[in-house]
Amino acid sequence: MSGPVEKIENFRVEFDEKRILRLIGYKKRSTEIKEPIKSLITEEKKKLDYLLHPASIYTIVGYDETNKHLVFKDAKKVAICICTIGLELEREVKELMEKNEMTRALILDALGSEAAEEVAIQSDRILAEKAREMNLWPSKRFSPGYGKWDIKEQRFIFRMLPAADIGVRLTESCMMVPRKSVSFRINFYKEQKLSTRRHSPKVS
Amino acid sequence: MDKEEILKRMGKAIVEGNKDEAEALANEAIKQRLDLNEVIDKGYVPGIEKVGDLWEKGEYFLPELMTSAECMKGAMRVLQPELEKAQISAKSKGKVVIGTVEGDIHDIGKNLVASMLAANGFQVIDLGADVKLEKFVEKAEAEKADFICLSALLTTTMLGQKKVIEILKEKNLAGRYKVLVGGAPVNQKWADDIGANGYGENAMVAVKITKKLIGE
Repeated sequence: MSGPVEKIENFRVEFDEKRILRLIGYKKRSTEIKEPIKSLITEEKKKLDYLLHPASIYTIVGYDETNKHLVFKDAKKVAICICTIGLELEREVKELMEKNEMTRALILDALGSEAAEEVAIQSDRILAEKAREMNLWPSKRFSPGYGKWDIKEQRFIFRMLPAADIGVRLTESCMMVPRKSVSFRINFYKEQKLSTRRHSPKVS
Repeated sequence: MDKEEILKRMGKAIVEGNKDEAEALANEAIKQRLDLNEVIDKGYVPGIEKVGDLWEKGEYFLPELMTSAECMKGAMRVLQPELEKAQISAKSKGKVVIGTVEGDIHDIGKNLVASMLAANGFQVIDLGADVKLEKFVEKAEAEKADFICLSALLTTTMLGQKKVIEILKEKNLAGRYKVLVGGAPVNQKWADDIGANGYGENAMVAVKITKKLIGE
């Protein structure tokens, strides 16, 4: 581990209804959700007040402190982040499945996925802002398993961060537990690149 | 309520996802000493088949399918002890051993497939998630299964699907079981490359393929 580590816990998770409907299998945008599904969605959403425990942990390090994987090439700094919504929602999904409440399980699982994504989006915004404060250009966020960054690079991320502080661990097959967790990197560049975001860096 | 009315309402309960009604009608059938296999075949099964048709037409989506599968399971739970008491086995379209492969703890997709297969008349033996690869073969052998369904949600764990097929070949069991694969990183090409008999893109497709493989 290297570089100071920061933790964020004060997330306010809001939901994109349409995305949730897509996640639970509604392909058509115009589909009218009928009973009993409609009530099930409302009831499962209510559980989120006590089932969600969103948190993220991150560090920002210089290129030399990374494992110098080709995906970090030309980056002045690299932000590494792990986000989660905790284990409780997954436990509830498991219990529902055991009780033959598969539709509720499906809905709650989708709500959990959306919540984890929302925590990642908000963490990403915070890190992009950090880049700008450093007069650097932030790239988009990338997770292991996408493009040239193999899923096994999860191990590098977990070497860089004390993930246990937010209750996340990595399995041998590079899966995160809780499953509703997201890990990613953002490269900070000195100059604007095709992969950087459009905003200009803050002028000091 | 006469038999015809009970059978009609059973199908309707499944289509509408009315679990209480589906279970109450199962109890009514027991009370009236109806032929329980007929109750399943002419009452509930037409309902779950209609649900499949509605899904094909794009009128039903995954949540509706699951609600109907829950109803079917609920009704079967009521009927099963009575069938056992009478030493009648519920008709089965085939025996399926299903699980998520070793190293992978994702199970919701696998559970959806298991529920839909059970609702459509297959006998499902669910091994759970993170299942040792040899166990799929051992269980299929012990249970004289017809199908082995392998779920994997990661590119690192989908290789387990290939290994199970290799284990079957090593044990000279290739061809004895139909192997179906599924999961987010899996596709038809992967299924073809590793020699699987089918790829279930989603729970309903998995049911369709399984039925096709038994000649339905």
